[in-house]
Amino acid sequence: MSEMTEPTTEFEPRITAFVCNWCTYTGADMAGTSRMQMASNVRIIRLPCTGRIDALFIIKAFERGADGVIVSGCHPADCHYTAGNYHARRRFIVFRELLSFMGISNERVIFSWVSAGEGAKWREVVNETVERVRALGPFTAYHELASRQMVGGAYETEVELPDVREAPAEAGGAS
Amino acid sequence: MTELQDLARKLLEDGTVAVVIGWEEGRRGPRPVSITEPDDTERLVFNARCVHNLATYLDPRRSQVRKLGKPAIVVKGCDTKAVAGLLREAQFKREDVVLIGMHCGGVVTDPAEQTEVTAETVAPRCAGCDVREPHRTDYVLGEARVEPPQNTSIDERVAALDAMTADERFEYWATQMEKCVRCYACRQACPLCVCDVCVADKTVPQWIERAPHARGNMSWHLVRAMHLAGRCVGCGECERACPMDIPLTLLNRKMQQVVAESFEYHVSDDPEVVSPIGAFRDDDHEDFIL
Amino acid sequence: MSAYAFITAEKLAELVADLMESGTRVIAPITTAEGRATYSAIEDLSEATFNQGLPMPSLKGHFLPPNEALLSWRQRGGDIELKPASTQFAPQLVLGARPCDVEALQVVDAVMNWDYHDDLWNGRRAASTIFAMTCAGVDDSCFCTAVGSAPDSARGADALLTELPGGYLIEFTSEKGEAFLGEHGRYFDTASDEAVAAADSLRAETRTRIEQNLVVDTARIGRWIDGHFDDDFWPTLGPRCNGCGACASVCPTCHCFDINDEQTGVGTGVRRRNWDSCQAKKFTVHASGHNPRGDQDARYRQRIAHKFYIYPSKFGDVLCTGCGRCVRACPSNQDLVEILQTIDGLAAVEEGGAA
Repeated sequence: MSEMTEPTTEFEPRITAFVCNWCTYTGADMAGTSRMQMASNVRIIRLPCTGRIDALFIIKAFERGADGVIVSGCHPADCHYTAGNYHARRRFIVFRELLSFMGISNERVIFSWVSAGEGAKWREVVNETVERVRALGPFTAYHELASRQMVGGAYETEVELPDVREAPAEAGGAS
Repeated sequence: MTELQDLARKLLEDGTVAVVIGWEEGRRGPRPVSITEPDDTERLVFNARCVHNLATYLDPRRSQVRKLGKPAIVVKGCDTKAVAGLLREAQFKREDVVLIGMHCGGVVTDPAEQTEVTAETVAPRCAGCDVREPHRTDYVLGEARVEPPQNTSIDERVAALDAMTADERFEYWATQMEKCVRCYACRQACPLCVCDVCVADKTVPQWIERAPHARGNMSWHLVRAMHLAGRCVGCGECERACPMDIPLTLLNRKMQQVVAESFEYHVSDDPEVVSPIGAFRDDDHEDFIL
Repeated sequence: MSAYAFITAEKLAELVADLMESGTRVIAPITTAEGRATYSAIEDLSEATFNQGLPMPSLKGHFLPPNEALLSWRQRGGDIELKPASTQFAPQLVLGARPCDVEALQVVDAVMNWDYHDDLWNGRRAASTIFAMTCAGVDDSCFCTAVGSAPDSARGADALLTELPGGYLIEFTSEKGEAFLGEHGRYFDTASDEAVAAADSLRAETRTRIEQNLVVDTARIGRWIDGHFDDDFWPTLGPRCNGCGACASVCPTCHCFDINDEQTGVGTGVRRRNWDSCQAKKFTVHASGHNPRGDQDARYRQRIAHKFYIYPSKFGDVLCTGCGRCVRACPSNQDLVEILQTIDGLAAVEEGGAA
């Protein structure tokens, strides 16, 4: 755990994970209650099912400055809603090709099937993702696209926009 | 009077339809027209400059067209694929429209400047066309046409992008996305973009940034390409409509390739063929899933 | 108020370079790597391509950008800190713009200072010196002369350049322009009578050529629109329009925008305005869900009515400078030249005048 408690100058990726409630979320919880040690770079967002995961969520994560994304759910045939993960699988077959075509490396979006009892596998997925994304470096390119526009770009207004990657000045200060 | 004009007149006069949607000559080439009077049918034309995909006017939410009554619509074979897409998604019933299919020998890329189909002028969308004689229409008019010269530039440009590194591709698209002013001409011209409330218009909550900077635009075009994956018929109207010349067909063509390769789905003019994105197979590949 | 001068191509390049050195941005028409014409900031005069391809979109984007931040906010406890965007802008020279684009700015100034002073627009206007260039015309969809403008109009410009062998005749047409001549006189030579005559002849020739494209009486078009809200003419246009915003986005006088608040982080956000178009389905939708312009017949009528009746009745100018971009950009081939011709004809018949 020592590498996590000491301040480090190494790049720490920020990973957003969209996981299904019934399998991966429970599996991740099991990893926690079993006191498994793993990288702490992941923010988990719980959804009922991978079938609910819209491609937009992944895009939004990158818009907000995430360096990598994990999408994880139940194994085929185990979906709590019978077929949600099959729809998700098909959707993501297409989406990862589209992302790659637009220049967003597939290495930044990791998909996995992690069941409720696979806490150890969740640890592997998290650690592997963090290291892969660490090697790729920060992905500020998507977030920073907001400063690029061709028409009138030379005359854009200057408005102070706090960096979304900074922590808020006062925790709990916002409503 | 041509065959088309005669048929249109007959359909209006005997009350089969209340409006015929087709093309008439305009100052800068043929343009869409909605004809409700039998005498006006003499304005109908069909030629190589009729590039528009008129299926877009069948969107039931276009109330200004819908209120004219039951339509007959003049379609090229490629346009019937869009009609099939709308039928597949239950946007209207087959019996609510009369399809007048036209034998087609290809269309030009720029109808304002070009009049004949040649190797230089033929539109990229015509490459590989398998519906020069439309099927599944109520009528088929005109003479059988020979295959036009093939402009394979779309596939070549997709391949050129595939050959780049991810960073090069990102920079390519970022530059294109800088140009977009979010006029939504691509969406409005598309016959399959028919959502009553487009996700981009939803502001509470806001899913896609409305601002037309490169980030908002990248997200918009990613989402639109996703929403069209498996549905796009390759008519190319999005790119033709774009006032900033963004190569949108490259995105949709890539999606067509992925869907063909992964799910063996090819754009069909048969509404009974199931759309790939609403369906799944037990053996869909998952080599990318840990 | 007209002072003539002549500037060689070399001296113009020097002037541009020196202006840039002193912190003035220079905007000119360029041709992109893809072969498209557009207005862009240049680093060197050699990047500018005058009268080659109509810049798309119009010059408007440099005064009302497609997207601009209006203010940002940050919540701290119970307080909200608002930071508005600055309305002070670095000086810029717009060099070689088409007269239709330049005149459009002055036409829109009226609404930007009507019930509210849009200081982001005004700030950019104040910071800009505008040199128009006599236009050679683009094609038969140009109709600037029909709506009170001209390919050599200097309205809204501080100077008008006309390209001649070796350089440009330049006519300074405003106080700001004359002050510019005063300050930068060393780059300019006296204009010979021959140069002035040559330029005049070019200008007259272009005007005559563009006039062939369309001649209408915009005042009677306005009167017809006023009296024909429910006319059968509008439903002949509505069904063709697919409701995209291409026309509005390329138009130098369209200025409608939408305002959105975006959350950028926890307790922080930005308010932006973005281009919008009255042709969009949701443009007039109310919070109740009611939409007074619920179909494209109503929306397309609105576009024509606003430009040729409502705006002139409020501000005097038609909201159109005849650049023809809408005609060229429309994917459904709506043709404003033909629409104006048709309405003018209908109005002529009704008023008993000559068509």
